[in-house]
Amino acid sequence: MIKQSPVHFHRMKDMPSTHLLGTGTPMCAGCGGLETLHTMYDILGHNTVFVNAAGCMTLLSVYPFTPFRGGWLYTAMASAPAGAQGVRDAVDILMKKNKLSADENVEVVVVTGDGAAYGMGMSATSGAMDRNLDFIYLCYDNEGYGNTGQQYSAATPHAALTSTSKGSHGYPGYKKDLFAIWAAHNPAYVATIIAAEPLDLAKKIEKLQTMSGPRMLISLAPCPTGWDYDPELSVEIGRLAVQTGVWPLKEYIDGEVRHTKVPKQRKPVEEYLRLQGRFRHLFEPQRDEPGIAEIQARVDDYWDRVDSK
Amino acid sequence: MFRIRFHGRGGQGMKTASRILGTAFFNAGYEVQDAPRYGAERRGAPIFAYVRAAKTVINERGIISHPDLVIVADDTLVGMPAAGVTQGVDAHTVFLINSHESAETWQQRLNTEAKILILAAQEEVEDRAALPYIGSRCAAAAAALTNAISQKILLAAISEELGHLNQDIIDQNRDIALGVFDEMSDFTGLVEPRGLPSATDFVDPGWIDVPFENAQVSNIAIHAGATSVKVRTGLWRTMRPIINYENCSGCAWICSTYCPDGAINVRTDGYPEIDYDHCKGCLVCVAQCPPHAIESIPEHAAREQEAGVTS
Amino acid sequence: MTRKLLTGNSAAAWGARLAQVDYIPAFPITPQTEIIEDLAAWIDRGEMDARLVTLESEHSMITAAGSAASSGVRVFTATSSQGLLYGMEMVYAVAGWRTPFVMVNVSRGLASPITLESDHNDIMAARDSGFLQIHCATCQEIADSILIAYRLAEHADVRMPALVNLDGFYLSFTREPVDLPDAAKARSFVGEYDPENLQFKGNSPLSQAMAVLGGGPYSYFRYEAHLAVQQALAVYDDIADEFAAEFGRRHDMIDCYQMDDAEYVFVMLGSFSTKARDAVDSLRAAGWKAGLLRPRLFRPFPQMRIRQQLQGRRAVAVIDQNISMGMGGVLHSESATALYGIKDAPLLASYIGGLGGRDISQQEFFAIANELRQAYERGESPPPRLLYTENEMTEMRKLQAIAQAEHAEIHET
Repeated sequence: MIKQSPVHFHRMKDMPSTHLLGTGTPMCAGCGGLETLHTMYDILGHNTVFVNAAGCMTLLSVYPFTPFRGGWLYTAMASAPAGAQGVRDAVDILMKKNKLSADENVEVVVVTGDGAAYGMGMSATSGAMDRNLDFIYLCYDNEGYGNTGQQYSAATPHAALTSTSKGSHGYPGYKKDLFAIWAAHNPAYVATIIAAEPLDLAKKIEKLQTMSGPRMLISLAPCPTGWDYDPELSVEIGRLAVQTGVWPLKEYIDGEVRHTKVPKQRKPVEEYLRLQGRFRHLFEPQRDEPGIAEIQARVDDYWDRVDSK
Repeated sequence: MFRIRFHGRGGQGMKTASRILGTAFFNAGYEVQDAPRYGAERRGAPIFAYVRAAKTVINERGIISHPDLVIVADDTLVGMPAAGVTQGVDAHTVFLINSHESAETWQQRLNTEAKILILAAQEEVEDRAALPYIGSRCAAAAAALTNAISQKILLAAISEELGHLNQDIIDQNRDIALGVFDEMSDFTGLVEPRGLPSATDFVDPGWIDVPFENAQVSNIAIHAGATSVKVRTGLWRTMRPIINYENCSGCAWICSTYCPDGAINVRTDGYPEIDYDHCKGCLVCVAQCPPHAIESIPEHAAREQEAGVTS
Repeated sequence: MTRKLLTGNSAAAWGARLAQVDYIPAFPITPQTEIIEDLAAWIDRGEMDARLVTLESEHSMITAAGSAASSGVRVFTATSSQGLLYGMEMVYAVAGWRTPFVMVNVSRGLASPITLESDHNDIMAARDSGFLQIHCATCQEIADSILIAYRLAEHADVRMPALVNLDGFYLSFTREPVDLPDAAKARSFVGEYDPENLQFKGNSPLSQAMAVLGGGPYSYFRYEAHLAVQQALAVYDDIADEFAAEFGRRHDMIDCYQMDDAEYVFVMLGSFSTKARDAVDSLRAAGWKAGLLRPRLFRPFPQMRIRQQLQGRRAVAVIDQNISMGMGGVLHSESATALYGIKDAPLLASYIGGLGGRDISQQEFFAIANELRQAYERGESPPPRLLYTENEMTEMRKLQAIAQAEHAEIHET
């Protein structure tokens, strides 16, 4: 935990006006994950070491170009949390030996896509939480293996078309509940965030800066390339994910789950689905009423259980 | 062997162009090798594709370093060194540019011995993110210029490679391809194949013995911060967002926060400024600005205005 | 016979389809993903009767491949580079299970630095594992080699899994003409999968792959596996003959081009060897007696054939698209082993090129030939060389300057 003088994010004007993360990276135009990352980086600052697993964001740093003004370490797809363990431990050792001063301390931040977080990296993440590692984990979730061409992953939602689920009904599986899996480890903090709700995001970063231990974030990352929509819709789609209840904004802290934004009157999920090419088969050549209804029912079900608590 | 390179932007259809041409050559009885070549593989970013065609088995591989024909689908790439459109171009090369401007204008701009031809650009395309029919047009031009592929075979190749689209679109592509054959009729056969390089007089590769350099020099590390700003991702842009400061309410933070790349900063006077060296033209800012104070215009039009050229 | 333009990845997918595989454990990685996408699409459309399961990692994928083969079905899988390495524990393990299956590797350079482009360090990392290795130079060879690989791997005297290597980008995403074998003939060529005495069934006791204590038994099992890999040399020719008779194409364990009277020889693996063919043609046109030797089978290493072909030549350049840190090119070392102690051994030169997808130009082949001739005239082999130019170093210095710089000008990309 790095003690920062806390900024309190109440209004959009409290958001940073200049940006710390360098421009010029090869992320797609309109990348929802990059939107989250730059907002976080603005607040966390450059006394950070970002530790990365294979995914789209691996290409943030391609020699000799890097957008980071602090640290960056690419590890491997399965082991970024283990990489974070090594950096954190080493910095603590050096500080104890007075070889690093307090203002040379760093916050270690794992950044991975859903491919690593929901799948191959699960073991290392579990281990890091077991050991109560003092770190932040940002999962940018674009609901598929994006960097390899959007094959389905354990994060892919039901009915989404991906390059390995091109059948007429899309992906037959269901999205894994990573929030619940991480929360079951009882870490210091787990939260869902999205860049389309920047104040909610900023407040959560502000909060986790005052804590130590494993602080875990899952950001839905609307993806123009993988979800098949025009890049300018990235924020609108992100906002609709929240307003339809598809992407609940919540946090786990002190053993409890609390929703930080509850849509009063949820918009019908189809407003969210309709804008994305990966769900086009639900609407063309004709409406798949049962398919849309199933998705709506699962969302309603989730919120009914939330309300009843 | 015919060695043909297509240049365009991700999303415009260069892979389709190379496939249509590759299939056409193949059905015309040639041995063929075709491939797209991604750089960043992002929408708007420069990519190229290539086709080799010969009457005998093709052993050559990799990037075409001495093209017989270069087709540039988006003329804004010609001024971009990183797009590499003039790599290896020499006096033998036919250089075809999809453009509104004339061959003479391009001849003056480019210092090249290549023969410059123009594929007349169609009615002004707003957003060049997708150039309609470009794959068919480029493939048809190549077919006509090499005089190696009949119209019939080219049209069949279009139907084959676009088979997943609906018939109206396929038919439009075919019609437009025929138009391009006509357009190129003065230059039929201008593109000629070349053989293999000679082993007797060749340019020495200029090998060096790579010296040992210790880890502090040779480790895989970047010791400077944010060197990425040196990369002008603004060159990906096909549409340019422009802030109308009269309508801007100075809320500033919305466009600045939502820009995924952080390419909008707030000035000391409280108004936002777009960093055009890096703006990729995603237009999230246009979509999100509450008073709708940001509009978008085609990037090529914006550049023409800047250059003082009327379009 | 249907001849069509296919990418290397499509040809690989067709190979699996024509071999009528039952089970495909999968995991995506660049530049292999189109293989599993094609297979998934065919299965979804009912054109292929197989089951495809995406595992959570390559380590798991290779485990599932071996265990499914041990349970009696014909298995196909594919990976690349970092994925092959992530599964390397299981690559060794499943080879020891003595259950045959075919894995395609789409070659890609290894981290660090992480890259997406092709070279052979990944496939070389598996060379001691027990997997057979066939290296392809064209998209046609990929489809054919998968069928041959099933026959080889499943042969009663072998029973080891096999890797079929194709180069990323240069083959994987490049279309070339491929004559797809007729489905019925391919079926009859590969035959039914015979699990022999390894298949889990209810009520039948079978323990597989258990622990072994004691150097004696352990040595027995390991050495038998090695002998089994060697057996592939004895059975390969018959399989290749059968394939040639059925489909009209010869795929010998080594591919010799213009070797009859060659004085100066290139030795290479994989798709870049076709560039060497062109260089041989140009050199011959200029009066040289040049030739190309391309091992197609790399494991087992066809020592005898290579020795026979290279004996008596003036000078040989082994061009490795890989590097063993601290030793040099792997193919060079293995070729030197094959030639040790024979009469009339040629001078042997080592060249490292094509790392991370770096091209090797025709001019470089000509320059290599000239170095070979100079070496022959001097009577001694030249020192090993990394193919790397002054221009490349100048570019590298520019990049290094940015990596150290505080401020610099805008760079276009």
